[in-house]
Amino acid sequence: MLEIKHTLCPSCSVGCGINVVSYNGEVVGTNSYKRHPINEGKNCLNGRNSIDMYKNKLKNAKISNSDVDFEKAIDEVSNILKSNEPEKISVICSGNNSIEEVNKIKEFADSNGYNIGFYADNFVNIAGDVASYDEVENASNIILIGDILYENPLLGRKIVHAKDNGANVYSFVENASVTANISNEVCGSLDDVLDKIEDSSLVIYNHVESSDDLDKINDITVKNNSKLLAVFSKCNSKGTANIITPSSKEEMVDLLNNSDVLLVFRDDIKSEIDFDYGKIKNIISFTPCSNSTSDVSQIVIPISSWLENDGSFVNAMGLTQEFKAVIDSDDLSEIEVIEKIQDKL
Amino acid sequence: MTYVLAKSKNSEIHEAGECGGAVTSIFKYLLDENLVDGVLTLSPGDDIYDGVPTFIADSEDLISTAGSYHCAPTMFGDLIQKYLSDKKIAVAVKPCDMRSIDELIKRHKINPENIYTVGLNCGGTVSPITGRKMIDLFYEIDPDDVVSEEIDKGQFIVELKDGSKKGVKIHDLEQEGYGRRNNCQRCDIKIPRKANIACGNWGASEGWTFVEINDEKGEELIKGAQKAGLLETKSPSQDAIDARSKVEGIMIKLSKKTQDAIYDKVNAMEEWNRCIRCYACRDVCPICWCHENCEINKSYFDESQIPPKPIAFQGIRLSHMSFSCIDCGQCDDVCPMDIPVSLIFDKLQKKYSNRTGYIAGVSDDIKPPLYSPAKEEL
Amino acid sequence: MSEDLKIVGLLCNWCCYGGADTAGTARMQYPPNVRIIRVMCSGRINPSMIFKAFEEGADGVFVGGCHIGDCHYDAGNYKWSRRAKIVQDIIEEFGIEKDRFRFEWISASEGEKFQKTMDEFYKTLQKLGPLTLE
Repeated sequence: MLEIKHTLCPSCSVGCGINVVSYNGEVVGTNSYKRHPINEGKNCLNGRNSIDMYKNKLKNAKISNSDVDFEKAIDEVSNILKSNEPEKISVICSGNNSIEEVNKIKEFADSNGYNIGFYADNFVNIAGDVASYDEVENASNIILIGDILYENPLLGRKIVHAKDNGANVYSFVENASVTANISNEVCGSLDDVLDKIEDSSLVIYNHVESSDDLDKINDITVKNNSKLLAVFSKCNSKGTANIITPSSKEEMVDLLNNSDVLLVFRDDIKSEIDFDYGKIKNIISFTPCSNSTSDVSQIVIPISSWLENDGSFVNAMGLTQEFKAVIDSDDLSEIEVIEKIQDKL
Repeated sequence: MTYVLAKSKNSEIHEAGECGGAVTSIFKYLLDENLVDGVLTLSPGDDIYDGVPTFIADSEDLISTAGSYHCAPTMFGDLIQKYLSDKKIAVAVKPCDMRSIDELIKRHKINPENIYTVGLNCGGTVSPITGRKMIDLFYEIDPDDVVSEEIDKGQFIVELKDGSKKGVKIHDLEQEGYGRRNNCQRCDIKIPRKANIACGNWGASEGWTFVEINDEKGEELIKGAQKAGLLETKSPSQDAIDARSKVEGIMIKLSKKTQDAIYDKVNAMEEWNRCIRCYACRDVCPICWCHENCEINKSYFDESQIPPKPIAFQGIRLSHMSFSCIDCGQCDDVCPMDIPVSLIFDKLQKKYSNRTGYIAGVSDDIKPPLYSPAKEEL
Repeated sequence: MSEDLKIVGLLCNWCCYGGADTAGTARMQYPPNVRIIRVMCSGRINPSMIFKAFEEGADGVFVGGCHIGDCHYDAGNYKWSRRAKIVQDIIEEFGIEKDRFRFEWISASEGEKFQKTMDEFYKTLQKLGPLTLE
C-alpha cells in the first residue's frame, strides 16, 4: 500500500530531510518533508532524484562484468584478500557511508592490517570553528568560494536569507551564476575574495583547487576571528572525517600506487581521483548501483542502499542526524556483507 | 443545499476527533462497509507539526488520524493522481485539495466514480517550521509542549498539556511575516463545496461538526453513517447557519484585501534571478501531470542558461495551466530558493477568471475553457 | 538603432501569409524588420513560441490569422484568440510591454491591411525601443 516515510537526503552534506513514497514495497517517488528543520520540505533536483539509486539497484554480484552467484563472489573476495599481503590491500571508505558503516569498515581494515583511504573533496585540514546554518542566516559578511547556490541550494537559501537581512555577500565563482546574482561583488580570484574578510565573517566553500588554497583560507579565517563552513559533496563526509583522517589528492594517489587490491566501499573514487586504475591488480566495489569505479572493478558486490537501512549522517555543520529505513530489503547491508567476508578470512 | 450538525456515536472517536469526530466516523463507515479500499488522510509524524499523508485500509487504524492539523500544508491531488487512481478511496480535503482533485477530474486523471471527498473548511495552514518559530517567539511557549492548535475568531490558538490555551491574533503574526502561508492569506475559497460534504466548526455548537451536504453522494454518506449507528445528526438553527456564513464572509473579505495589496507587486519580482531551474515547482504542481512530455524539457528550451529567463521558463507553465491554478502554494513551499512562485500563477488565474468567470477547481465547466473546441472568443 | 528592431511574424498559411504575399507582389512598402515564419494555422501557435521569440531577442512578435469564421480548419483561430489573451496577460508580468505582442486577422487579399499593420507595429516598437530582458 501507499506509504510515506521520512529519511535524509544523501546527495550532499547539507543534511536535508526528504519523504520517500513507497507503494506495495517499491520506492515510487519523493514528497516534501516540511517538518524538517534544515530544508523545510524543499529539495533540489539531485535530492529528488536520489531515489534513482534504489530504482537502478544492481540485481546481481558481478565478476569480470558477468553476473555470478552472490556467495561465489564473496568467496572470490575472501580468496583474493587471503592471497595478498595486507599492506598491499587498501580499503577506500567514503562519505556516502553512514557512521555505523564507517565504524565497521574501519574495524575491518584495522583488524586485518589493511591500509585505509578516505577522500573528502581534498578538504584535508579544516581549522577553526565551523559555522552553523543559523549563523549563516544571521551573518553580516559572507565569503563564498564555489557556486554554493546552485550546487548546495538548501544552504544557498540560508545565504539568501542573510542577504535579505542585510548581509554583504562576496563570491569567487567561475561562471555567471545564481551565486553571482545574489553577491554584492563577484571577485576575480581567491585572494580578492579573501580580501573582503573582516572580523566575524563567515567563509563558505564547496570547491577548493589545492591544499595550498585551503591553507590560505584556513589562515585568513582564523586570523580574522571568523568561522568556516566546508560543504562536502557527500552526505557523511564530515562524520567519516571524525573517524578516519581524510587524505589529500596526492596522498590518495600514493595509496593507489601502493595497492594491489582495492576495496571500494560505496564510493566512486575513479570519478574523483585521476589515476590509471588498470594498474591495480584487483578492484572490488561494494555499491548499491553501478558507477564509473564499479565499471572498472573485477568484482562488484551489491549492497543495500540507504533507503533500506537505519543509520546516521553528520552534516556539514557537524549535526548528527539519524534516519530510519523507509523500505524492507532482501539484500544484505554493507555491514552484513563485511561480516560475511570477515567470517571467511 | 442542506445543512446538518453531526457528531460521532462512537465514544473513542468522539474523544479523539475534532468537533465530535464526525469526519472520522464517516471514514469508519466507508471502510467497515467496504465502500472504499482505503482512506487517504494525515497522521502525526515527528510531532503535531508534522502531518504525514497516510493511506488507511483498516478502520482500526483510523483513530490515529483523528484531529486537525493546521501546520500540515500537504497536497492530496497529485498523490491520488500518481499512486491511487485505480483505487476506490475516501479522502479528507482542504479546499485546495478539492480544487486540485476537480481539475484533475477535468483532465481525466482522477475518476470521480472512485472517490469520496470529505471536505474540511479551511482558514489557512501554517508551515510547520514557521509555526514552531512563532510559538516560540510570540507565545513564549516551548513548541514541544503544545498538544494541539486551532484557528478560531481570527486567532491562532495553541493548547498545552495542562489544558491551558493561548491565542495570538493571526493579523499580528502575519504583520511580522509569520502566521499562515502566503497563498493561504490570499485564498478566497474557504469551504470546499465541490466535495461531497464540507465539514467544519464554523457555526457549530461545542462537540458538533457543521456539515454542508453538497451533492447526492454526500447525502448518502451522512445517511449511511447514520444508519450504521456511527453518526448522530440534528438540524442547525438559522442562527448557526448565519454565523457560519458570517465567518466565511469575513475570511473572504480579508483575503481579497491581501490580494489587492499584493498582486501589483508581481511584475516587479526580482526573485527570479536566483532560479536554479530545478523543476521543483513543476514537479510538485498538482495540476501539471504530464512531466514525461513537458515542454520545458524540450531541447529548444532545455538548453537555456541558469537562471533561466522567467518568460521562457515560468512562461511556459503559466500558459499551460495558470488558468487552472488553485493557489495551493506547494510551489512556494518546495522552491529551494524561496521564490514566491505561486503569486504570479494565482494572479493570472484571477485575471483569467475576471475575464471568463472560470474559477479553477470551483466552476462547473466540463473543461478549462482554453482546451475547449468551442467557437468563441474571450 | 531602430533599424535593428527585430520583429518575428508568425503568419497563417491560408490567409495572412497570402496577405503578405499580396503586399509584396503589389510592391507595397513595409518595414523590413519583420522575419516571417509561415505556420499552417494560427491555432497551431502556442504561447511558448511567442515566449521563445522574446527570449531569443525579438523586440516584437506579430501573429496573423484568418478572420473569425474563415479558418481553414474550422476553429483554429478561435483557439488562438483565447491563447493570445493569455500571452498578453503573461508577458506584461515579466516586464514585456503588452504592445510588443500584436495579433491581427488578415485575409490573403488584404495586402494593404498587412502593410498598414506592419507600419503601425513598427512605429509602436520604435517608440518602445529595443527589448531588454532580465
